[in-house]
Amino acid sequence: MPIEIPTLNVIALAPQIVVVVTALVVMALDISLTDKRVVGYVSLLGLAAAAVVTFALLGGPAQAIQQMAVSDGYALVLNLVFIVTAALAILVALGYLDERELQHGEYYALLLFSTAGMMLMAAATDLIVVFMGLEIMSVALYILAAFNHRQVGSGEAGMKYFILGAFASAFFLYGVALLYGATGSTNLHAIGEWFSPDRGNLGDPLALVGLGLLLIGFAFKVAAVPFQWWTPDVYHGAPTSVTAFMSVGAKAAGFAALVRILMVSFDQAFTLDWQLVLAVLAVLTMTVGNIAALAQKDVKRMLAYSSVAHAGYILVGVVPATMTGVKGVLFYLMAYAFMNIGAFAVIAVLEHRDAIGTALSDYAGLSTRKPFLALAMAVFMFSLTGIPPFVGFWGKLYVFRAAVEANMSWLAVVGVINSAISAFYYLSVVVQMYMRTPTDETAAAPALRLSGPVVVTLALALVATVVLGLWPTPLVNLTALGIFG
Amino acid sequence: MPNFDPSQIPLVSIVFWVMTVFTLGGALGVVTSRNLFHAALYLILSFFGVTGYYVLLSAGFLAMVQLMVYAGAIAILILFAIMFSRRPMAHESQANQQWWLSLLLALALFVVLVVVVGAVNWPVSDAAPAADTVTQLGVALLGSYLIPFEVVAVLLSVAMIGAIFLAREKTEAEE
Amino acid sequence: MTQLIWLTIAFPIAGVLFNGLLGRRLGHRVVSVVGPLMVLASFVVGVGAFADLLARHGEAVNVPLWTWAAIGSFEVNLSLLVDPLSVLMVLVVTGVGFLIHVYATEYMVHKDESGHAHPDRDFARFFTFLNLFIASMLVLVLGNNYLMMYVGWELVGVCSYLLIGFWYDRPSEEQAPIDLGEGAEPVKLPPLLSPAASGMKAFIVNRVGDVGFALGVFLIWTTFGTLQFADVFSQVPHMAEAMPAVLSWIALLLFIGAMGKSAQIPLYVWLPDAMAGPTPVSALIHAATMVTAGVYMIVRSNVIYSHAPGVSMFVAVIGAVTALFAATIALVQVDLKRVLAYSTVSQLGYMFMAVGVGAYTAGMFHLTTHAFFKALLFLGAGSVMHALHDVIDIRRMGGLKNKMPVTWLTFWIGGLALAGFPLMSGFFSKDEILAKAFEASPVLWGIGVLTAGLTAFYTFRAIFIAFHGQPRDRHLYDHAHESGPAIRFALVVLAALALVGGVLGLPAFLGLPHALDSWLAPIYATGEHAAAAGEHGLSLGLELGLMATSATVAVLGIVVAYFFYVVNPAIPRRMARSLRPVFVLLANKYYVDELYNAVFVQPGLKLARGMAQGVDALLIDSVLVDGLARLVGQIGRQVSRLQTGYLRHYALATFIGVLILVGYFFLR
Repeated sequence: MPIEIPTLNVIALAPQIVVVVTALVVMALDISLTDKRVVGYVSLLGLAAAAVVTFALLGGPAQAIQQMAVSDGYALVLNLVFIVTAALAILVALGYLDERELQHGEYYALLLFSTAGMMLMAAATDLIVVFMGLEIMSVALYILAAFNHRQVGSGEAGMKYFILGAFASAFFLYGVALLYGATGSTNLHAIGEWFSPDRGNLGDPLALVGLGLLLIGFAFKVAAVPFQWWTPDVYHGAPTSVTAFMSVGAKAAGFAALVRILMVSFDQAFTLDWQLVLAVLAVLTMTVGNIAALAQKDVKRMLAYSSVAHAGYILVGVVPATMTGVKGVLFYLMAYAFMNIGAFAVIAVLEHRDAIGTALSDYAGLSTRKPFLALAMAVFMFSLTGIPPFVGFWGKLYVFRAAVEANMSWLAVVGVINSAISAFYYLSVVVQMYMRTPTDETAAAPALRLSGPVVVTLALALVATVVLGLWPTPLVNLTALGIFG
Repeated sequence: MPNFDPSQIPLVSIVFWVMTVFTLGGALGVVTSRNLFHAALYLILSFFGVTGYYVLLSAGFLAMVQLMVYAGAIAILILFAIMFSRRPMAHESQANQQWWLSLLLALALFVVLVVVVGAVNWPVSDAAPAADTVTQLGVALLGSYLIPFEVVAVLLSVAMIGAIFLAREKTEAEE
Repeated sequence: MTQLIWLTIAFPIAGVLFNGLLGRRLGHRVVSVVGPLMVLASFVVGVGAFADLLARHGEAVNVPLWTWAAIGSFEVNLSLLVDPLSVLMVLVVTGVGFLIHVYATEYMVHKDESGHAHPDRDFARFFTFLNLFIASMLVLVLGNNYLMMYVGWELVGVCSYLLIGFWYDRPSEEQAPIDLGEGAEPVKLPPLLSPAASGMKAFIVNRVGDVGFALGVFLIWTTFGTLQFADVFSQVPHMAEAMPAVLSWIALLLFIGAMGKSAQIPLYVWLPDAMAGPTPVSALIHAATMVTAGVYMIVRSNVIYSHAPGVSMFVAVIGAVTALFAATIALVQVDLKRVLAYSTVSQLGYMFMAVGVGAYTAGMFHLTTHAFFKALLFLGAGSVMHALHDVIDIRRMGGLKNKMPVTWLTFWIGGLALAGFPLMSGFFSKDEILAKAFEASPVLWGIGVLTAGLTAFYTFRAIFIAFHGQPRDRHLYDHAHESGPAIRFALVVLAALALVGGVLGLPAFLGLPHALDSWLAPIYATGEHAAAAGEHGLSLGLELGLMATSATVAVLGIVVAYFFYVVNPAIPRRMARSLRPVFVLLANKYYVDELYNAVFVQPGLKLARGMAQGVDALLIDSVLVDGLARLVGQIGRQVSRLQTGYLRHYALATFIGVLILVGYFFLR
């Protein structure tokens, strides 16, 4: 049997390849360079190159590679989300790692690998490739969460994330196995074909349970209730620069694959009630996340719960299974990248080496100590609440609108009520910063230093949050390109 | 049992059940054993059972891989790791206060899966067992599954980099 | 100037950026110039737009800025609407706003006992917020769609919250009990909330209203598919026939928003406590402008409300009841600013009564005159506070007219206008509302007249106690002094406006020109309203009679106050003693705060605390693990030992989730 090496349409995975190659270059440079920050800047260059490649592909015809992955508009727009996320997270890390003497080249390599994994998840059209991307992303994140070896909490975070993540991966894989057993394929289009009404396969119990297990895997990755247990501990324990990255990146990647699978493979299978299940998950996720966040006295932990709530809002855009919803999700993810990483960047500045300085009271009177920092944080908080005219508002409007169009207004109403609840804890940060005098402890704390990269991060996130809030059309136009090829 | 005819029992069935005892018994041993070392030995038993399944499925090459890589290399590595680490013979109980609840839940999930699997009308392949599984596997890996095959390389590098990093930092921290 | 209307918003925003980022460094003198100047610039642009509009005979113009967002078929064009209504609001906001900014440049400089001046330590922050408020309010009134209105609505709320709590480190204050004389037990008064708590209260109460407003906007969007005023209003008549219930729901939800923002029953409770903010804030935000946003919103949506008669009547009734209710509370308040606050609630009630019975112009007329005289009264009260080192309890004042003649005279003018004394601005606007109310229902009119009498009484009660008679606190009196030029300037200009503001709406039935009526005519639904306005329901004699009645009642209220508090101060005490239960009830503001506290706040707090413990601890720990463990009789042992943070609990909880989800898919 002669082996035919297939011709590969490598161009379809060009952005991913650029990122992986950058990661390898970074590893190589790490050996020879003493100033590890250069490694970080090289990583940024690599991401810029990936962005250029993505833009070059955007708008062109969708390129498929072996029915395994595709570079359609959907994947490419998500690539941009991941690139923005990774770039901002690297900028945060440059200063954050310096202060803690954690500047290692591996950090950037792992972060890039993780990004490549996320991009692969968005592009994958086969469950096996989805799983590969998921694992690349996750394994890198496990290590990154445990990156600060001087901090017990960091190791603990990595351990918890790893064990529970492995748990979730197992369920996901089990789901893939059952679906394969039922449909005879792991290809998304083939599974979608199998479900087409004339085949009469809709009630198949094996496929049903397989879908359920698949949903569990994703619900875990995006931190949806009741699979969110790990989130507060891991987000709180991990280095802040990592939390910033994974709170956006892992969530975006989870949704990226979930939405494609649902839209491509299960769009004929509404009778499987996955819409109802996801709607219930959305309501639970929003409500539990917001209510738990209300009780937090620590800003980092509060944002962890809030990120659970945001997974709920995004789910609202997934449930209708319409293109409006998909675009809403894309818009939301991009908006979330800017405002959430911006908020974590502020936390990273305030956090002292020994992991204190994240309590709510540490923000007291920040407006008098660091007016720019306080202003930026205030804008991020407003935007996360969904108060216009910031970009977060449009994100919510977009996904809620999708729900309304699909005659699920009740879901949007729940979302609006939840946004109102969230105002309390987001604005409590603003209150601390602007309306409280610094406590004695805060006043005695070492002066806050704003390193160059952090200022750049904050400025970028701030400008994006405000400008895209005042003029979201470019982002709307971009997400309009996010179609399945 | 006058009509008992041992030849009526297919050999395949006997082997299957024996292997199942190995696989499940080994797995049970892993989770219940108080001695870490014993647990690792049970793991090897379980791996061995799985090897039997591959043989029964005419996947000779996979069976060999399973035996050499898992039962051979990986399990041995685990045994070494246990022996080199400080307290190989921890005798703490594996159970905690929620063991019964976990058991209950696991059983419930098991029942669900068994019922589902039992309810499915599985398609039975009537094709003859493939003769040359190695070639087929090779063609698949370098043909239609080339992408996942390549991607695995990335995954493994990530795992390796991570493991080295964690090990190195740990040593540094202890020094 | 019409095309440059966006400058009215841009100027204050420039002020925000300048004062916010540089103000602290450049010192209070620079801020004192830049802050007011930016608002003045806005005002000038507004006047320009007004002149243009006049030349165009009130034809509305959309000034598109940019396409804000186009999400599929949903398009929001960021456009400013320059029409008679918005220009009127712009002039009121920036005009009164400018005067108050000028006033604040002096007010926010504190004098200590030895007469040394110290600018407030957050002087720059104050003007930053004040400028931000002006910009937000202009967004609210200038937007040509409900979304921008909502944006402004939220932003002014945030500004209000930030400014009420401006002096966040001041504690709550006790109020001295009221001595009723002759050995009667003094009536205890509830303590005043601290600024921080007041701000929070305002914020929370307004959130309730805002949810209603947001849902209303949402319903408009789902019903009409657009949020642009023009597109919505053109569809309303059709929709009124197709689905009247939806239209009523929209009107009702929007009005719930107005209840919060404009302090109407049952959401009025935050406004009196908002007086904890600096006095310029009380004057600008909590009297003249922000609190009237609800009235503006209803007038803007007049097409919707005139097609929802049931809701309109509800608005009128709520307005009337609020007017009377708040006026009775104002009768016994001893805190000068709170007298004025309850009076604001009451006057806002008048405005809602007007717009509820369809007299939108009358509502806007009263909104305008009220902005003049109530801002004046607050600034006068602030001038007194400034002179007395922040003492605001009228029982410690007295005889101040000798020390502060300008403040006294202007306060009188404001008081007369508020009381509806003939020929003052408030007289014309209030009379017009009462006449329209009479047309709709004599009962409403009766409530209105009664309230008018009470208003005259409590206003002059405060004036006579504070400015007349003998000084009650010698020390304070001796140190009192007239305020400086900035404060006097604002007072005098506003007094002039309060005096002659009535010319905007002279009674039409006397053949006099009603300027506002013809000015605002273009904003109403064409045809119907014109017809409604044309047929005047009341005869000339009846109109005159009503006018005479309200004039008499106003004068009567003042005279009674004069007898009670100047001629024979023993009378009110005697009355309070004989009607003690009523007096106590009023002094405690009908115990509404206590009621809300018991019914909403405490259970809410409990729920929140429960949730806080619940989600983290109770759910995983107690209910799932321990709760079930108890079932098998392992009570207590685990309770202390198990804590969250354990991986195995997370794994277990996750597993339960798995089982539920898989179980669902399996069983369906």
